[in-house]
Amino acid sequence: MLRTEEMLLNVGPQHPSTHGVFRLILKIDGETIKEAKPVIGYLHRGTEKLAENLQYTQIIPYTDRMDYVSAMTNNYVICHAVETMMGIEVPERAEFLRVMAMELGRVSSHLLWWGTFVLDLGATSPLLYAFREREMILNLLNELSGARLTFNYMRVGGVKWDAPEGWVDKVREFIPHMREQIKGYHDLVTGNEIFLNRVKGIGKYTKEDALNYSLSGPNLRCTGVKWDLRKNEPYSIYDRFNFDVPVREEGDVLSRYHVRFAEIEEALKILEQCVEQFPEEGPILAKVPKIIKAPKGEAFVRIESPRGEIGCYIASDGKKEPYRLKFRRPSFYNLQILPKLLEGESISNLIAILGAVDIILGEVDG
Amino acid sequence: MLGFGLAKGLKYTLKNLTKDKPTYDYPKQPIPLPDRFRGIQKFYPEKCIVCNQCANICPTDCIQLTGKKHPDPTKKGKVIDTYDINFEICILCDLCTEVCPTEAIVMTNNFELAEYSRDDLFKNLEWLDENDENVRKVNKA
Repeated sequence: MLRTEEMLLNVGPQHPSTHGVFRLILKIDGETIKEAKPVIGYLHRGTEKLAENLQYTQIIPYTDRMDYVSAMTNNYVICHAVETMMGIEVPERAEFLRVMAMELGRVSSHLLWWGTFVLDLGATSPLLYAFREREMILNLLNELSGARLTFNYMRVGGVKWDAPEGWVDKVREFIPHMREQIKGYHDLVTGNEIFLNRVKGIGKYTKEDALNYSLSGPNLRCTGVKWDLRKNEPYSIYDRFNFDVPVREEGDVLSRYHVRFAEIEEALKILEQCVEQFPEEGPILAKVPKIIKAPKGEAFVRIESPRGEIGCYIASDGKKEPYRLKFRRPSFYNLQILPKLLEGESISNLIAILGAVDIILGEVDG
Repeated sequence: MLGFGLAKGLKYTLKNLTKDKPTYDYPKQPIPLPDRFRGIQKFYPEKCIVCNQCANICPTDCIQLTGKKHPDPTKKGKVIDTYDINFEICILCDLCTEVCPTEAIVMTNNFELAEYSRDDLFKNLEWLDENDENVRKVNKA
């Protein structure tokens, strides 16, 4: 007698394609996924709770460890929130350095995503090419801040270091090199028929779904919603730069791939304008009191990280530590749609769909 | 046309075969690091004024220090007695060197910090004083 039954399959937490410690409990019927249940929290460190006992400057290194692939945006969001509360005006040179650091981080983050995503699909060599260029960016950021990943570069009211001698010229030289390499990446992967067959038309969702699940970043823009906080709610000095918001209509894995690549090119455009307009001299830190005390009240700011909208909410009772700190971590919100996307898909598509969401577990778990 | 994309990718691979190696022969060759790079700290006991700022700013509370009275009774203030950094929890955030008013604690470029025993990660005043290779030249912005 033939008998069929549902089977439970456990993916992760130590699975190479989950990029960290993410666990999925799958109910499968043959090769079709009936139900997917994500289990998160393996990397939970309680950043928000820890922050309640830390001064604002002390929180900055903790934010490095949330989204460790683009730590500069995390540095920025906490500083921006405190500056908003205290009404601090950041010097222009510091703003330029911040924007350059953040955009370099965006390029390196998308490069890492590209390399690992294609690696998950079975192509090993693109990862090595991606890391070659990412290494150049990490070296630039290392020269600027003294660390390769956990930068701890920004401070409330400015930045820690001024650009070292010749650094801006190095960024200027890097931009055309990177543009040249992107062409190579497209030759290598984007036109590859095997790759296209694996990513085209899978993991599809509509504009309504994306909005209802509060997705943001490339995950939202791949469905045709033109929403980028750098354009729609300009913060820092983003209103001075001329750049586009790449949008795709299809809403599948391939469209997210294209949006991210287009974003690298837009980031390079911003970098180019930054290098041109970079002020010759000026202070890099505003006049801030030695012990930073945010005034009583609350504030919420949001900015565009490579993964989406990262927000920071501070409730302060006037002390040097926040009363409550909350981060809106984009990876966590973007991951919500995964069970819906996986339902009815074949297991072999799981990795492509999960990879295209672009999660960083440090950020998901907080 | 099927296979055209594959051929294009192969062309890129072949083109890169003749390029220079981007990697370092690391353990045999030292890695060049910028001056600002943050490795394990160096401590100058004679410069320290026991102001406790480094211990207060440390986000992970890994610095413990005690002071004693100045041995010369004509001089005011304190001198350092013990100074310990617990490297199990130090995150090399550079805040201690940033707040130090006398640059008594500075960063070095030494990043090879693995030890066989957890106890060895506990760095005391003598160890930090003797750690004087690759000391960072510029410590304040």
